[in-house]
Amino acid sequence: MTFWAGLVCLASVVAAAQNPGYQPDTSWRASEVATARQNPLASRPEAAAGGRKLFAKNCAECHGKNGSGMEKKHSANFHLPVVQEQSDGTLFWKITNGNANRGMPSFSKLPELQRWQLVLYIRQLREPE
Amino acid sequence: MFKACFLLLASAFLLSGTAFGQESPFFVTYTHHMEEPGNLEIETSTTSGIPRSGQRSYTAPYMEMEYGVTAQWTSEFYLEGQSSPGDSSVFTGWRFENRYKPLSREHWINPVLYLEYESVNEASRIQKEVEGGGPDLTSRNALLTPEHAHEVETKLILSSDYHDWNISENFIATKNFSESEGVEFGYSFGVARPLARLASCAECRFCRENFIAGIEMYGGLGSTLGFGVHDTAHYVAPVISWAVSDNSTLRFSPSWGLTHESNPVLIRFGYSYEFQGVGTRISKLFGRKP
Repeated sequence: MTFWAGLVCLASVVAAAQNPGYQPDTSWRASEVATARQNPLASRPEAAAGGRKLFAKNCAECHGKNGSGMEKKHSANFHLPVVQEQSDGTLFWKITNGNANRGMPSFSKLPELQRWQLVLYIRQLREPE
Repeated sequence: MFKACFLLLASAFLLSGTAFGQESPFFVTYTHHMEEPGNLEIETSTTSGIPRSGQRSYTAPYMEMEYGVTAQWTSEFYLEGQSSPGDSSVFTGWRFENRYKPLSREHWINPVLYLEYESVNEASRIQKEVEGGGPDLTSRNALLTPEHAHEVETKLILSSDYHDWNISENFIATKNFSESEGVEFGYSFGVARPLARLASCAECRFCRENFIAGIEMYGGLGSTLGFGVHDTAHYVAPVISWAVSDNSTLRFSPSWGLTHESNPVLIRFGYSYEFQGVGTRISKLFGRKP
């Protein structure tokens, strides 16, 4: 009985920490030039490991350790197609500029390549089809 | 009451997470990078002045608490003191400042507006900025502490990130409401760059990605009673910061005085620790619904 109660409790905590119904802010749009930018690390998938480290340090507080987002913070769930369909350039632009309306800070203080490493890592969060 | 407040704040800190402590290495120059919303950074720093003939040596410690109110607004509160060998140790006052970034996106030049109220006395030596002719470095604390200054300080901060370089310029105007000395002016600018562009795969503390190095220059520009660099203090200072852990940063800067009104050398040390999500935790303690 205690085991099942614990399991239900754990499941509800995990569910609360996710944001399956995430809807992107439609006014938060990158320019065409920014959208078209290619990831200079695309041919170096091993750099995603550094991106994972940066994600844990800079992003996990709001987006969750596994990138599922948080409903209470309206933060993006990186597993969803609505995020993964965005280009590398768009994700890079969003990390760089932040979205003050939704409380996301700019991460332009990180070196450019580290922001691209974050994009590489976010790609790894894509849900298997 | 005090105990309750202390317990409340202590619980908020204990419940808080930690944040990546890659902070600007500058001691004087501000960049456009704001504190992340809800994060609280506590920093202790010292400014030590090595005197030239006729000046007094001193160490001026200060503590600052920086809080990210929103993604575009950061507030800071300072407490400061000063100790001179052979003289005395004194509390020199407090400061409260706010920085607001009017543009929400990144641009070639990012302006930030800065407004500060200072309630300090003339023994203040932390030199978070140098304006007018610089501080009085020759008189004893007993003469300086009764001279109280209520100052309002404004800054226009212009900052750019070009590739991995940060280039920042600050223009300072200060009005002391306790004395009729006009409006005093000052400047500072700095450039800095991380020593590594890529993050390594493994956790490491001594690797280059944890260091940012640069140089800053700052000084006074006189006042409305006499604008210019005549009889003013100016310094040039290499700066370096080291992210000691995910949430703490050490900073060091030796500054060289360029004029007779400056100390020949200023040594600055700083240690900062960042608490993440403090605002959210405190709101929760007061019963705010998510």
